[in-house]
Amino acid sequence: MIIFFLGISFILAGGFGALLINEKEKARCLAIFSGIGTFFILVPAIKVLVSGITITSTIKFTYPIGNVSLIIDPLSAFFLSLISIMSFIGIIYSIGYIKPYLHKRMAISSHYFFLSILVISMLLVCIVQNALAFLVVWEIMAISSFFLVIFESEKKEVIHAGINYIINMHIGLFILMVGFLILSINAGNVDFSSFKVLLNTNTSFTNTMFIIFFLGFGVKAGFFPVHTWLPRAHPAAPSHISGMMSGIMIKTGIYGILRILTLINKPSLTLSYFVLMISIISAVYGIIYAIRQNDIKKMLAYCSIENIGIIGIGIGIGMLGLSYNNNIVAIMGFSGSILHILNHSIFKGLLFYGAGFIYQKTHTKNMEHLGGLAKKMPAVSLLFLIGSIAISGLPPFNGFISEFIIYNGMFQSFLVRNPFILVTVIISVASLALVGAMALLCFTKAFSAIFLGNAKNTYTESINDMSPAMLVSMVVLAIFTLLIGLFPQYVFKLLINPVSVLVPSYHFSVESLNFVSTLSTLSWCIMAFIIIAGLIYLIRYLLLKQRSVYQYKTWDCGYQAGNNRMQYTSSSYADPFLSLTKPLVHNEVELTRIEGFFPQEASMKTHNHDVVEIYLLKPAFKGIKSLLNLFSWVQSGDTQLYIFYGLTSLVATLLWIMLAN
Amino acid sequence: MDNAGELSSTRKERSMLLAILNILFLLIVPFLFIGIINRTKAFWAGRRGAPVIQPIYDFIKLINKGEVISTTSSYIFKVYPVITYASIIFAGLLIPIISHKSVLDFKLNFILFAYILAFGKFFALIGAMDTGSSFEGIGASREVTFSTIAEPAFFIVIASFVALTGNYSFQDIFLFLQKSNTFVYLITVLSAVTFFIILLVEGSRVPVDDPNTHLELTMIHEVMVLDNSGPDLAFICHGAAIKMTIFAILIANLLLPERIGIIYSSLLLLVIISAISIVIGTIESLVARLRMTHVPQFIFISISVSLIMLSATLLFIYGGAK
Repeated sequence: MIIFFLGISFILAGGFGALLINEKEKARCLAIFSGIGTFFILVPAIKVLVSGITITSTIKFTYPIGNVSLIIDPLSAFFLSLISIMSFIGIIYSIGYIKPYLHKRMAISSHYFFLSILVISMLLVCIVQNALAFLVVWEIMAISSFFLVIFESEKKEVIHAGINYIINMHIGLFILMVGFLILSINAGNVDFSSFKVLLNTNTSFTNTMFIIFFLGFGVKAGFFPVHTWLPRAHPAAPSHISGMMSGIMIKTGIYGILRILTLINKPSLTLSYFVLMISIISAVYGIIYAIRQNDIKKMLAYCSIENIGIIGIGIGIGMLGLSYNNNIVAIMGFSGSILHILNHSIFKGLLFYGAGFIYQKTHTKNMEHLGGLAKKMPAVSLLFLIGSIAISGLPPFNGFISEFIIYNGMFQSFLVRNPFILVTVIISVASLALVGAMALLCFTKAFSAIFLGNAKNTYTESINDMSPAMLVSMVVLAIFTLLIGLFPQYVFKLLINPVSVLVPSYHFSVESLNFVSTLSTLSWCIMAFIIIAGLIYLIRYLLLKQRSVYQYKTWDCGYQAGNNRMQYTSSSYADPFLSLTKPLVHNEVELTRIEGFFPQEASMKTHNHDVVEIYLLKPAFKGIKSLLNLFSWVQSGDTQLYIFYGLTSLVATLLWIMLAN
Repeated sequence: MDNAGELSSTRKERSMLLAILNILFLLIVPFLFIGIINRTKAFWAGRRGAPVIQPIYDFIKLINKGEVISTTSSYIFKVYPVITYASIIFAGLLIPIISHKSVLDFKLNFILFAYILAFGKFFALIGAMDTGSSFEGIGASREVTFSTIAEPAFFIVIASFVALTGNYSFQDIFLFLQKSNTFVYLITVLSAVTFFIILLVEGSRVPVDDPNTHLELTMIHEVMVLDNSGPDLAFICHGAAIKMTIFAILIANLLLPERIGIIYSSLLLLVIISAISIVIGTIESLVARLRMTHVPQFIFISISVSLIMLSATLLFIYGGAK
């Protein structure tokens, strides 16, 4: 634990160092310090992860927080390693990304300071076991990330997104406060372990509490219908921040849900079905909206909602396993979802960093204005392609592995002979397959709109000079995706300890041993596939070696006057599919039609709105506003009146105390 | 001891031989599959038609040619036919062909089957978009839409099979189904219908797509490969044929009787596959292609049928229909 705090203090020192040092070196300073810090954090984390022991410690604060017990169990250790490594990579990336912003009187010092604070608060969230202290670090995390989101604060939409973000976070915080208040009043103690008895006595009380916490943590994680901050905050933030927020910060929400689950011995069936249902809706909803976006980062943000949905499906399957006392289902569900947490942070980081590079070089995030970049930046296009394939859940990359494990959990659950579970699980299987297919649509669209075809824009800048820091961080992530995809059996073994926190009666059973052998067969098969593809490519190469291969323009059906704007755009690519989803979305179209024989002007504008925002949040906030307006007379702006309020309440309190005595 | 070692070595040889036979079957039969479809269409049109092995000649002709590559395209265009082709061949190794055995048999291999095909499709789509042609864009966007909606049907069918049989790989599932009693035939037939619709979608046949159309605006699969030539086109055409044959083999596996020896079962397999190709050719000759806007409705039929199959499965497991 001391080594852990040594690591934390290194990161903090990096943050303070960045305040003082020369502007150019700020990023490097934090990177070096957080590198050392990451190393020190990984020492206990990896030890716990491998051996399965639990490190505990207590810090004595005075009233009102009291004793704060800290714990590094395998579940926390998993999140600690994830957060420290991924944020280290993100900070490395930012060395290159921040360069164009230097010497423009931007708030770079505070940016790096808050970055270190964010990393520390995320790390602390995973080990604190005291409700009050937890809420404090949770709030520090929200506020520090708010300052990171509004980095380009001179832009109006950035400030707008930032405020939307902070409000959403505080709604989540409020819900969590309610939850923790109810628990700690009933338990008489703010320690997590004291909630355990409480959460295992009355089923309906447990259900209500879990749903409250699920909502509160769900705001952070981005579950439907409390996801609306994601597609606003991610595009507004600088790319390394969006990568880190989407990759690791929203996962703290998942951590919270899992931590609450560890306090519940056996979740009821209702809860399992609830989690499964919300997750399926999040996944389908997220990916349909991702397909609709033409802004790269907005698309990636909606895609995070989809992936949180997939993680949630895994958790739901795991909970079903727990509530039916079927260990293997529980193990598979939770391992799949925990692996997907890791996988998502890897490939989402990769994609956001790629998007950041594209934005830096082309100054646009709109896919419709890009195109043809594969020839201009081949390295980035290849890295982005790897990320796209991985996020679509396709072999040989890591996204496939976690989905495979979740599928396994689903199919194992058929052994519980129960028609309800059978129908629910088959629906989830079909939705997971559908989500995978839609993700394929989404990312073939994105990749081809950004990188393929002819450029729809002229690119002026020297477009391929990439800073080594950015390249290295992306290459490392790409190697991670491939390694997890090719050697899933070893990764699965690493997940045993974190999962055993959630499935208490889990010891390495025959079934999971069998599954390890299935995974190693799978890895052999995937390698065989790569060899087959290589062989066929060799044949092609040998065949064409002696022959004429010449270049000619694309077949244009005899039409000679084609231009770059006549290519299929990203919206036209997605249109046939989106026309099928019309009932689910709200599309506003401003159309000036072509009329008459000599048409003058014609235009079309479309606005994508989030249905939840329009039909759920807007009316709700309107209602709250009109309700609160009734009390607006209280706040008159008159200082005398305010003093009067103070005095009245003081006298009232005094009277009350006197009368009570 | 010696005897046992010999036995296992002969068993090993036998399975090696079977694997090679399976691969040969997988590579050669698709040519005939397409040949029979074309012959059937010729019959309905009152022509004599090309010989059944004409696709083999076409393949050899294409393999021996050079290539023209679009100036717009990037490295994707050069690798995608190979990757798509490899993914389809690999998918073929996962399904049971001759003597009810798959080359690669392991737990949940049907998931790898679906996802490796999707991997190939990913590259086929971006390969088509790489040329910057609006025609190929049309094709890609239609293809991805239709195969996306067809995806759940396959998984519902497979999941029902798993629930029904308690087995977790293609080979075991089909072995179980081939042994089962009469009520299972209902489920078998329903799933065969679903697979057949998926075959038509994935193979881009009438009524989803007409491979013989002459207008780029109305095509799906053919328009995606307008710019490919030479060996790449040979790979793509052969790959498409293998993909259709794979689904035909899946249907055939549903209809095959229990173990009847290698020779009989492979003959029967050939007969069923030819029957399916004759059906496809007949449909293609007698039915018009659907309007593009009606194709999704046709594909949704496969989902409805798979849901009916799911209900039948539930009835079988819990309704005492045994």
